[in-house]
Amino acid sequence: MSLWRYEARRAGWPACLAAPASLLATLALAAGSAGFGAPPPSVHGVLLSGVEALVPLAAAMAAVTVVSVDRCRELQLALPARYPGTLARRLGIVAGSGAALAVLLTAVLRLTGSWTGPRSALASVLVWASPLLGLTGLALLVAVLGRSVVLATTTVAVVWLCEQLFAPVLAATAWSRPFFLFLTSRAGVADGWGTNRAVLAACGVLFIATALLLLRRPERLLTEEEA
Amino acid sequence: MRSCLSAVCRYEFRMQIRKRSLWISTIGLAALITVAQGDRGPRHLPAGTDAAVVMGSWALLFSMLLPIGFGMVLADRLVRDHRIGIASLLAGLPARTGALVAGKYAGSVAATAVPGLLVLCVAAAGEFVHRGDPALFGWAFAAFAVVLLPGLAFVAAFALVCPLVISAPLFRVLFAGYWFWGNMLGPDYLPSLTGTLLTPIGDYPASWLIGERALYAGEPGWLSFLRPEPGGGAALLSVALLIALAALPLAFAGPLTARRTSS
Repeated sequence: MSLWRYEARRAGWPACLAAPASLLATLALAAGSAGFGAPPPSVHGVLLSGVEALVPLAAAMAAVTVVSVDRCRELQLALPARYPGTLARRLGIVAGSGAALAVLLTAVLRLTGSWTGPRSALASVLVWASPLLGLTGLALLVAVLGRSVVLATTTVAVVWLCEQLFAPVLAATAWSRPFFLFLTSRAGVADGWGTNRAVLAACGVLFIATALLLLRRPERLLTEEEA
Repeated sequence: MRSCLSAVCRYEFRMQIRKRSLWISTIGLAALITVAQGDRGPRHLPAGTDAAVVMGSWALLFSMLLPIGFGMVLADRLVRDHRIGIASLLAGLPARTGALVAGKYAGSVAATAVPGLLVLCVAAAGEFVHRGDPALFGWAFAAFAVVLLPGLAFVAAFALVCPLVISAPLFRVLFAGYWFWGNMLGPDYLPSLTGTLLTPIGDYPASWLIGERALYAGEPGWLSFLRPEPGGGAALLSVALLIALAALPLAFAGPLTARRTSS
């Protein structure tokens, strides 16, 4: 347990606070919508968007931080413990805190009748888990490949923003639909939803596996200054 | 004071302009939005369209994504001084903290403006090939000055100062979310700043150049007093408000930097 507490401290408070901040932003937006007279279905849509879009964004940005901002990397590489294992524990803490909060919010929304996602409890998990896996995997891969916080965070932000901007086209086109991150909140649980969740999760696993392969030589993360 | 400000500005400019990630992110984002613009984008404007409309449309198009990269690049500029241990050294210089912050801000804005302006000039050159109107280059500069630059000045001020309070990673998460919520999310869907005079995407100046509503400028919504009809006056007011708002975080930058250096 003390090892996990240590890794949480090494991951840094900004990375650990990203998911709670995203949920707070979601609740604030929903409260703002309700306060300005938006009908309940719109407010429920905002809450669903928060779970599906903001939590994965926060987890992905936090993952970039965990990978890119380690001031003791040289020291870590000199230890007998394998560095990919250390990174995996830190990423697990970040993704785990996001997942726990998403489960909690989903449960509250289901209990209060504000949930507009799939009815099954297992499918509800896939609303946030698949985009979280896909986007965090992408963030991890770009951070390891590019060794640059700017490049990795810009890539994540742009993918997220472009999928929001071109949502109608991406959801309607056959080839892009399986890769669309926000299908539940933008198009509902319609045809191809299961395929979309499976493809996103598979992409995430593929990105993470590739990043782990690259991390077999962890010294590639060493750099003089953030580029 | 003036020579100190200019010296800090120059060294910050030189450091930033050599940053690979600035160029890679600008070129990547510009290429992406050019390809993904769809049939309503400036590439598909009919022949004979006024040069101001063409370049105003290009400036707005680039303004949708380029500031994301600029914000990410600038998010660690002041935090970095503390991280690599030169903040105490800078505090020992015969220059006031205000001059240091102002110089860093001006240098950062100038350095990020260069790739933005170049991208717009490349777009003007591309349009010149099949439109043959030399005025496109003049309007490229004008569109840059009124659409992209005020937004960049706004983003740079917040990207420099906010990470001192909430850390760079948290700022980057909130900034990506804000950019969509405050600039491109339709005001009829959620209460948002989209379509107000305070949108750094340059909706009002672009609407003025194009001669019609570019995105959401002036559409009914939250904070109706900030949603006048688009036009020359509204565009000017939007630019002035964005620059005035940019001064707000900068006013806190000196004390925040000094507090971090002394702690």
